[in-house]
Amino acid sequence: MNSRLSTWIILGLTLTFLIGPFLIIIAAALSAGNNLAFPPQGLSLKWFIKVFEVESFRASFGVSMFLAIFGTLAALVLGIPAAYAMTRFKVPGAETVKLIVSSPIIVPGIIVGLALLQYFVIPLGVGIGLALFLAHTALILPYAVRVVSASMENLRVDMEEAALMLGCTRFGAFRRIVLPNIRGGVLAAFILGFVTSFNQVPVSLFLSGPGLRTLPIDMIAYMEINYDPSVAALSALLAFMSIGIVFAAERFIGLSRYV
Amino acid sequence: MFENRAIGLALVLPAAIFAAALFLLPVGILLSEAFRTETGWSLSAYGEFFASPRNQTVFFRTLKLATLVAAVSAVIGYAAAFAIVSLPPTSRGRMFGLVTLPLMISPVARTYAWLVILGRTGFVNQILVDLGLIETPIRILFTETAVFIGLLQLFLPLMIISLVSAMENMPRDAVPAARILGANWLQVFWKVILPLTREGLVIGGTLVFTGSMTAYITPAILGGSKVLMLETLLYQRVTVANDFVAASVIAMILIVMSFSANLLLKRLATARKSR
Amino acid sequence: MIKTLALAGASTLALSAAAMAADKTLTISVYSFAQDEFKELVYDPFEEICGCEIVVETGNSIERIAKIEANKDAPVIDMAVLSTHDALGAARKGLLQPIDVAKLSNHAKLYDIAKDPLGDNMGIGYTFYATSIVYRSDKVTVDSWADLLSPELAGNVAFPDITTNQGPPALYMLGKAMGETGADLTAPIEAVGEKADDIVTFYVRSSQLAQLMQQEEIWAAPVGRFAWGQFKDNGLPMAWATPAEGQTGGMNVMVMTANNGNEELALQFMDFWLSTEIQSALANALVDSPANAEVEVSDDIAANLTYGAETVSQLDLLAPATILDERESWLEQWNTKVVK
Repeated sequence: MNSRLSTWIILGLTLTFLIGPFLIIIAAALSAGNNLAFPPQGLSLKWFIKVFEVESFRASFGVSMFLAIFGTLAALVLGIPAAYAMTRFKVPGAETVKLIVSSPIIVPGIIVGLALLQYFVIPLGVGIGLALFLAHTALILPYAVRVVSASMENLRVDMEEAALMLGCTRFGAFRRIVLPNIRGGVLAAFILGFVTSFNQVPVSLFLSGPGLRTLPIDMIAYMEINYDPSVAALSALLAFMSIGIVFAAERFIGLSRYV
Repeated sequence: MFENRAIGLALVLPAAIFAAALFLLPVGILLSEAFRTETGWSLSAYGEFFASPRNQTVFFRTLKLATLVAAVSAVIGYAAAFAIVSLPPTSRGRMFGLVTLPLMISPVARTYAWLVILGRTGFVNQILVDLGLIETPIRILFTETAVFIGLLQLFLPLMIISLVSAMENMPRDAVPAARILGANWLQVFWKVILPLTREGLVIGGTLVFTGSMTAYITPAILGGSKVLMLETLLYQRVTVANDFVAASVIAMILIVMSFSANLLLKRLATARKSR
Repeated sequence: MIKTLALAGASTLALSAAAMAADKTLTISVYSFAQDEFKELVYDPFEEICGCEIVVETGNSIERIAKIEANKDAPVIDMAVLSTHDALGAARKGLLQPIDVAKLSNHAKLYDIAKDPLGDNMGIGYTFYATSIVYRSDKVTVDSWADLLSPELAGNVAFPDITTNQGPPALYMLGKAMGETGADLTAPIEAVGEKADDIVTFYVRSSQLAQLMQQEEIWAAPVGRFAWGQFKDNGLPMAWATPAEGQTGGMNVMVMTANNGNEELALQFMDFWLSTEIQSALANALVDSPANAEVEVSDDIAANLTYGAETVSQLDLLAPATILDERESWLEQWNTKVVK
């Protein structure tokens, strides 16, 4: 058997299955017709333009962007010190702490959203917006800790020790030695967190209030009512955005080294 | 490693408290909901849940689909991962990028695509009819098949990534050596590749199984109310009947099944190792 | 970009606080159906008049009631529109307050059955709809509710889930076609259960049907007349059945949440929505059939609505109290016979 040929056949089939549907979505979005269909009925960009005219998409895009950016930043603010502590200090009960911090990854998102709604938002009268923000932060925290930890483990401790011996404070050593060296890891964690948060559905399913929805939830609601290709167009635009960010990150910081 | 425990604790505490207060506490209360009755603590909610034939069907369907998706993705994953590692380094990196690409695309978009492809007038049916394999379009949407296909596409990349990482750590000449010694491909896989990549299989298997079990959008859109899975049942119980006890039971089942899957796979991996 | 983000962020976090701070905000809870039209014809014009802001929450009735119930101590929603039986359920739970109809200048113009369908002025009907079967006239003919389970439609029909507003009425009519007389749904539920494999899906939102029809997944489904607009121009030959057993249907009502503290503005909004002008606009856009008897529309429009006192009086409706009281046992039967 020609092993080169079989290699390419296997890869070709796998990629067709994995990426083919996405190409079909793009093609369907370019349709000039009014219905989602493949092959498209004529070509036009009108559905891409329509995406920008739907007001609820604009509002929910803002919400999702805000959550993805500031939720990830908040997770990093909490996660970087934790990662630093866990890789550099003997923390009492380190395993328990690790388990607690990474628990949001283990529990299904829909349960997180429901639990927050029922036992946090409603009894404490917290706004849905704040709950969404906190939930997304909690969700990204495990990624932030893990990715940043990985990049700290690669950093040799003796540089910090040298700095400390030369009279640097511990914070000074962290700021001057550690931080510059884990920049790539932090950026990688940010991107991973951003993409995770932006595409997140189950957590946000129960956490939506009057006039407040994340973009994926809004897309589901829209496509239940309208069977036009604008959701396909929006999906394509979002995918290009995500892919663009990830590729840029790969190019400039070598994202895959950290993930 | 620094010795100062106090500083370590102080640095780790904000994150731990945050996760505990905002996450473990509400989830814990939700999970306890099913054990609390008017007369005290009880397991009766679980008995009631499993007494319903509908709930049994949903439970076994979820288990079946998640297992099937994990198993099939392992088979395809091994073939694809082996193909990827056998490429020269530059195309290997590119191919790896292409395989991970779908992970960057919103699950809503990916599921939506299947709606178009699997429909009665969709792409798959058109091709099958054109090829003369079937006479009239067949129903794929709102069946377990549709949910299976959707889940497989959603989670296969995770399996491939895990297996590729595992294979990259495999000694380079292990496979050629076994071939020279006269082993056929099945023997090579069973005696060489599988033992050397089982960690990757455990990680990938857990990710795919857990992911399939807890996916919401795919069963919701491609399965609908006729192919309920635990996650869609949970959503329906809460939104339709405000039934938090059922939600609590389902939540517990999902968490327990995820953990068991992980333990079981780890067990299998070490069992092979010790032999 | 950054400004948009900052604004979005600020509104995200401050939304609930802002809603309470600005006294000219009205928060309403409505069906997710036809929101673009409602915004253009109802919300935007009202915002102009009152100088206030309308915040809209959408979703199905049960989801929205669950949220109203969860927040009953500090109501977020000021007014909501619900089905009659859901409104009655909410009223029984003490989530609603009587509407001061004396303050509604348009109340007298409504059809009698819309004036106080729940008793105690707990709700005011603002639209009716007939429920019948929408079908592909090139593929099948539907003359009876029993045709839904006919061999021609096997594998080509969607049925409303029992938990939807269309579910019980559709089962009720199916029961009539099978010779039942009362609101006992045992026989029709059993019949649907036997044919469950022939039913493509049990739909939860009627909006979903347009897509299924378009993709030729289904040829027929019981549906409320309010959704007819989604089908009639989809490029396929569509028809609205007039079954031998008649048509069923429902009424939607406006309700006022208890202790919302925003009663004046909510009343003003209700009155606006019930006015001849707005009811006519909604009718002409084929969004909602009018409950205001003064609304006059062209024959063309009327043909697409549930219009006129006569039509309304012919609808064979399940009483809201029946639906509310029987719902649990229907659901139980449904879960054992149909979902299996």
